[in-house]
Amino acid sequence: MSAIRRPQCVVIGAGPAGLGAALAAREAGLSDVMLMERDFELGGILPQCIHDGFGSIVFDQVLTGPQYAQRFIERVEKAGIEVKLNTMVLEMRGDRRITAVNPRDGVFELEPASIVLSMGCRERTRHQVMIPGYRPAGVICAGAAQRDINIEGLMPGRRVVILGSGDIGLIMARRFTLEGAEVEGVYEIMDHPGGLTRNVVQCLHDYDIPLHLSHTVTFIHGRKRVEAVTVARVDEALRPIKETERRVPCDALVLSVGLIPENELSKQAGVELDPLTAGPVVDERMHTSVDGIFACGNVVSVFDLVDWVTQTAETAGRGAAEYVLEAGRRKRKPPVRVTAGRNVKFVVPQLLREFDREIDLFFRVEHPERAARTRVLVDGEELYSRKAKMVRPPEMIKAGADPGGARKVEDITVEVVGDEEEA
Amino acid sequence: MAYVNGQRPLPSRAGLVVVGGGVIGCSIAREATRFISDVVVIEKESDVACGTSKANNAEVHSGIGEDAGTLKQKLNVRGNQLYDEFVRGLGVELKRQGLLIVITQRTIPRDGGMPEEERMELLTRKIPEGIVAYGENAGIKGLRILTRDEVFRMEPNVTREAVAGVFDPTYGLISPYKLTIALAEHAVINGAKVFLNTEVTGFRVEGGAVRAVITDRGEIETPMVVNAAGVFADEVADMAGAGGFVIHPRKGATLLFDRQVTAEYVRSSVAEFRLPGQRTTQSKGGGAMPTAEGNLQLGPTAIETDDKYDTSISAEEIEEIFERFHYLLPDFPRDALISAFSGVRAPTLEEDFVIGASEAVRGFVNVAGIQSPGLASAPAIAEMVLGILHELGLSREPRPDFDPVRPAPPKFSELSNVERNRLIREDPRWGNVICRCETVTEMEVVNAVHSIIPATNMDAVKRRTRTGMGRCQGGFCHNRVAAILARELGIPVTEVTKDGEGSPVFLGVAKEFLGGAAR
Repeated sequence: MSAIRRPQCVVIGAGPAGLGAALAAREAGLSDVMLMERDFELGGILPQCIHDGFGSIVFDQVLTGPQYAQRFIERVEKAGIEVKLNTMVLEMRGDRRITAVNPRDGVFELEPASIVLSMGCRERTRHQVMIPGYRPAGVICAGAAQRDINIEGLMPGRRVVILGSGDIGLIMARRFTLEGAEVEGVYEIMDHPGGLTRNVVQCLHDYDIPLHLSHTVTFIHGRKRVEAVTVARVDEALRPIKETERRVPCDALVLSVGLIPENELSKQAGVELDPLTAGPVVDERMHTSVDGIFACGNVVSVFDLVDWVTQTAETAGRGAAEYVLEAGRRKRKPPVRVTAGRNVKFVVPQLLREFDREIDLFFRVEHPERAARTRVLVDGEELYSRKAKMVRPPEMIKAGADPGGARKVEDITVEVVGDEEEA
Repeated sequence: MAYVNGQRPLPSRAGLVVVGGGVIGCSIAREATRFISDVVVIEKESDVACGTSKANNAEVHSGIGEDAGTLKQKLNVRGNQLYDEFVRGLGVELKRQGLLIVITQRTIPRDGGMPEEERMELLTRKIPEGIVAYGENAGIKGLRILTRDEVFRMEPNVTREAVAGVFDPTYGLISPYKLTIALAEHAVINGAKVFLNTEVTGFRVEGGAVRAVITDRGEIETPMVVNAAGVFADEVADMAGAGGFVIHPRKGATLLFDRQVTAEYVRSSVAEFRLPGQRTTQSKGGGAMPTAEGNLQLGPTAIETDDKYDTSISAEEIEEIFERFHYLLPDFPRDALISAFSGVRAPTLEEDFVIGASEAVRGFVNVAGIQSPGLASAPAIAEMVLGILHELGLSREPRPDFDPVRPAPPKFSELSNVERNRLIREDPRWGNVICRCETVTEMEVVNAVHSIIPATNMDAVKRRTRTGMGRCQGGFCHNRVAAILARELGIPVTEVTKDGEGSPVFLGVAKEFLGGAAR
């Protein structure tokens, strides 16, 4: 094995987050940026997202997933970023030693000056939501089904029940329908849809696909291949009501029951994770608890919009570049923890260290609320305020705040207040 | 070679036919090839280890949990002692990591009216001593009493209600399906033939002796049959008129957890000691045990069922398991659950092993009622059955040409980087990681498809390589594995199955379901 290479920045994962971060690091002045991707092509999940709805913020245009990815891929190719495809990181240590493998280079080691984590997320499976029954062929997560159909050209089901009304579930309801499969219905355990309103309208209503709220799947039938599922209404504690059970014949159960940031490597390196987001705790530069390791996109927290993934990626890429170029001359200041105030479940970034720039704060509410106002308070002073007709947990909210200079800040709180409280 | 899907005809005759390709059938077949080469194994599923052998808890018990005087206990203790020799040369690891038996406050509840001093004396001294004496009496070696502190030093996350423990060092873990596959392959290396997707439909019995086994692919003349058909052993025996016992299936569900999380919480297997009256079911009570690969298992349950194919798991069982083991490992996170499985035990009404030559049909040997500790007992069961077969006329002369080694294919995740690079230089497919969660390479999948007992479907590849066994449960790798299977088997990917006939992974190609012009 040749001497260990020390790139200025290694970006792990070349989905929208990795692409954006690698470009930002390059554009912020790093000459030696390496982008690693375990798949055979760049783009991550985007190539399989052939529906539109991407890019309205970043490009002020409505693009498909592959189009959105292509814009970055072309820039990455021109920027002189070293791309390693079919490359799997086997190990990452807290001292930034990376061991990776691919068919061409074999197993190799790197000691980059900075790392950006952009591994994205994975889907929750049937067992993580504990669906009882048999284990036949035909139980598949929505994103995996999307890849089967849109990339591989293979149909994982013909008469389909979808559990969970997250965005991928909604989009796949439409996709199966357009492919001539029958979608019997979408079942959602909560009393509100899990995905964006626009997807409920465009993917279900427009195709007359029923959405059964407060319902779940209580049993999977079929020893070899899915033959049916039992569905039931749930009570307020989300427990299935036995008397409402109904057997629905189908040959596939498609699950859209949540996404989990993929942080196995982060854990190996000792990166501190936030139990609420299941992703690394980051500061305003997307710097994690481990020196020189940055993170962005869905590995930090599952975002609804790819545009926001790109924004966090650019922050992380710039942050990594600054870190490398300053070569540790700048000391990391002690952080202020952002407080999740009234009806706020979590905020990303969790920590703020410097207040010399405008800060993007991404957050989700805990429960739906009408006529609400989202606010950012810096030491009690309202620096951001926006009215919303409706806030819902599935729809992430972005707030900006510019603390205006490098003065000392003691407390930052993000909160949602009702209009009557305002009055 | 194995003989899959009728690609090759059945031989017209064999020295021994074993019905059932589970761990017991394959153990007996392998042991038989030490003496004769014309051994045939008949398995109705698409792979060996498709029944209870793939869905148990991987435990090589010491025998401490069995009732004294039973055949079960005798064969378990003996089997455990034979194990290292039994697996030598197979390329399957037995991890003798030991079992921690924990005695807790609820072993004798406080409100039982017993004076506290006397109760603690029982809990911390008399019960542990009793366990050790019981085990030693059965021939189990190395049992050791642990104080409460020693229990926590061994397993820091076990319940604070623990008061004492017994450590059982001969207890081990082994992958039951890898063992079964290895035994089957070892038998084939030594001349045996394994027929998959082949079902026994009857026997030819003449003059009170078995003459032939009749299958859906034809007949094999043989003077000796071993019935190791697991939950179907009673039906198979009845086909020959050699029955007289009933298998009443009892299913057991187990929850399986993420390896990374497991490693943070438990080291050895942990079981809670319950007094005989405290057992709620006909089962040793289960425990918290890592698999041979390091995933924690909680379970199993014990539910009587009338369906021998009932490998389902119910909501009640999931709750029961969580409730039962929450006491033992209170801080273990529920959300580390990655999978759950259910197996069907094959007990007889007597709840003991039924092993012996049929009195009604000469040459017919029943090996039935094998439930836990069947895996632990397998070497001793094979030894006992060989004794019976010798009595029936099987050669007692060890073959000089018996090959003691079954080569195991390399596992990328277990190799050093130097070894990995050597393999990648030989074939770049060793550098193509297919399964991210378990770090399985393309070459391992290819090797599985072309192994002696070939993997012909997704589950068979999974059992050999661990593809899809990780936390994403195949979300990322299922299409890649399916594509490799299709390529290597020379079939369209739409014919790739999860576990044999009737379980296609894909139901068609894109646009296929659109009517009319779009087709």
